[in-house]
Amino acid sequence: MHFELSEEQNAIYDLVVGFMADKWSGDNRRQGLDSFPCQVPGELVREIADLGFFGISIRENSGGGGEPLLTSALIVEAAGGGLFPSLLTTTLVAAKALELCGADSNWLARLIAGQQTVAIAIEEPNGCWGPDAIELTAQMDGQGGYLSGSKILVADGDFAQVFLVAALLPDGPALIRVDADAEGVQINSMRRLDGQSIVELEMKDVRFEQDDVLGDGAILNQVYDIWTVLIAADLLGNAQSVLRMTTDYAKERQQFARPIGSFQAVAHRLADIQVDVEIGRSLLYGACLALEDESAEAEALVSAAKSWMNDLGVKAAEAGLQLHGGIGYTWELDIHLHLRQARSNAVTLGDSKYHRARVASHLMSPEY
Amino acid sequence: MDLKFSPQDEQYRERLRAWLDVNLKQHQAVSKAGDVDPVQAARDWQKTLCEGGYLGLSWPREYGGQEASLTQQVVVSEELARSGAPAPINTIGISILGPTLIQHGSEEQKQRYLPKILNGEELWCQGFSEPGAGSDLASLQTRAIEDGDHFVVNGQKVWTSLGMIADWCFLLVRTNPDAPKREGISYLLCNMKTPGITVRPLRNAGGGSHFCEMFFDDVRIPRENLVGEVNGGWRIARSTLDNERSGLSGVISIENNLDRLLNLSISLNRGKQRAIDSDSVQQQLAQLWIEKEGLKYLGFRNLSDQIANRLPGPAASVGKLFASRLRQKIGKAGFDIAGPLAQVGKKSPHSIARGRLQATYFDSLGYSIGGGTSEIMQNIIAEKVLGLPRSYED
Repeated sequence: MHFELSEEQNAIYDLVVGFMADKWSGDNRRQGLDSFPCQVPGELVREIADLGFFGISIRENSGGGGEPLLTSALIVEAAGGGLFPSLLTTTLVAAKALELCGADSNWLARLIAGQQTVAIAIEEPNGCWGPDAIELTAQMDGQGGYLSGSKILVADGDFAQVFLVAALLPDGPALIRVDADAEGVQINSMRRLDGQSIVELEMKDVRFEQDDVLGDGAILNQVYDIWTVLIAADLLGNAQSVLRMTTDYAKERQQFARPIGSFQAVAHRLADIQVDVEIGRSLLYGACLALEDESAEAEALVSAAKSWMNDLGVKAAEAGLQLHGGIGYTWELDIHLHLRQARSNAVTLGDSKYHRARVASHLMSPEY
Repeated sequence: MDLKFSPQDEQYRERLRAWLDVNLKQHQAVSKAGDVDPVQAARDWQKTLCEGGYLGLSWPREYGGQEASLTQQVVVSEELARSGAPAPINTIGISILGPTLIQHGSEEQKQRYLPKILNGEELWCQGFSEPGAGSDLASLQTRAIEDGDHFVVNGQKVWTSLGMIADWCFLLVRTNPDAPKREGISYLLCNMKTPGITVRPLRNAGGGSHFCEMFFDDVRIPRENLVGEVNGGWRIARSTLDNERSGLSGVISIENNLDRLLNLSISLNRGKQRAIDSDSVQQQLAQLWIEKEGLKYLGFRNLSDQIANRLPGPAASVGKLFASRLRQKIGKAGFDIAGPLAQVGKKSPHSIARGRLQATYFDSLGYSIGGGTSEIMQNIIAEKVLGLPRSYED
């Protein structure tokens, strides 16, 4: 019985918090909103790669850090709290996807060295989420085939050299490699609420070979769960940051000759967010551990974490905005950036209702 | 990171399960027979638990304890809750007074009281709250005046669970009315048979009589029944309150309530479909399960802290506050899911789950009041965890 972070994990978390405070700020995000899209400078990508973050949860014999998935989640949590863009999460997930698919080791090495961006394309313009909603069907032709259709909301698609596209093959869903410069590929930028890059990936008779079929439906589900839990971590870090920022403000800001944090209407709202953050952190650790152990409850716990964190992220940011009063409603304060990121992430890879429905199907399954 | 118990702990669990299989069935058979006094049956069950070695797990052996590891304590609370075994009747004595005496009692007091707390020979109640001292407990007014080798106590206590049947009471009294309020309080042990004590049952909102009010009229308590120093009782009581809040076993009882609700929603029809087939019921049950899991993993984090000798401190208020809210959500969900029949009483035709939903609902409402109200938990979190300035004059 040992349910706490290792010294190493605590150190990595602190390192990332410090790194973000030094290298990234809300100003970068405000610029991204004014001159879309928000982009991480190449030198910063290299620094992150040099710190070993992109491959932190990849096996050591593949050049990774050999840390459990939770360590990736902690990095994303700290980065999310610092308003860092999704590129970090996207690359962490892409690296795990390549590892799960048993992809070429040189390719994985390039990815974790920060030399390539691989985006993952799952959602389609059908108003649904998740691997079960995929309709894009490959036209088979001998060993390979063709893809025609549209994927939307693809994170970091503006910067990607390669896409992993979820599509239906005759024997079920699969992840298929599509190069950004392949014939028939068109990339249309979509503006995310928080100024980040998401794209529509339009494909017209895009050719793929047998070798480009990287993973099956089971791997797709695993990738989806890993990605979902990392977005949950981003939302948790975001809420934690807003809570800290707002608590600090409530200690300083004086009205009626007292700090506003001495009023219970303010203090209790912050206390409630502290409670929800602690529950969220517990769910995040539980979900990561369950995924690592391939527990039968893993999918339900991932959905529990995502659903909880969706609600928490938005609730915390809205409370932060309110409790800052007038200044909270300004462009210059970072609160609206946190709210934008929370609102976007809360509908990325499944909203709360979607994930509660996944939990409910677990509760109704014969195994429960 | 892992949630596994050691092979030794798992063997211990197996032995406990086998033990429960025999002894719990026996107890249930005796209780069902009907002509047994329920209090006596509860005392007997506690004695059985005690003799089996499943009470006082953290206590020193010399006072009847087991000196068991923290993980064994968790195994016992898990298995007792899972089996549906009744809690020992002397829970207040075991979980609050026992640890207090172990920490602050004299050697004579430990030897005199601790073994009988465990075997149920002496039942204890807690005399803390007063009509004028609830959340602001330190403002209590019950007076004790030193008179030779006795304290003479006058005043009133309230919300006293087991007051009608308890043999003893641990009591907070004011011994110095002129000192600042936290520095004039003493901690006494009072035999309930002492002349001058009147106990009256109070019915709670759910209709039960689980608590009482107690009147003290020139009650003489021997000086040897003082715990710690005169006027040093507040600090001792604080450690008692922390014991009350850091309990872990609540998650399993919440899990049991939720499982019952899930089964109800499968067995109940709403129109042409089962309740569980409704999207809103699924969403509601899923949310409750999510919160229950959050509480469970928070419990694992707290447990790991305790294993590493880090005290939960004010963070225990997080679990207390969240657990009581979750219990209330489950209580209310029972009414949502049962629909029109939720209002039907337990002995009526068409009543659901023999009135259990209604009992669960009313029970749940007490959790955000007893042991520190939710509003006080919010104050503690705001002040002690977040470091916000205090919201009131003290």
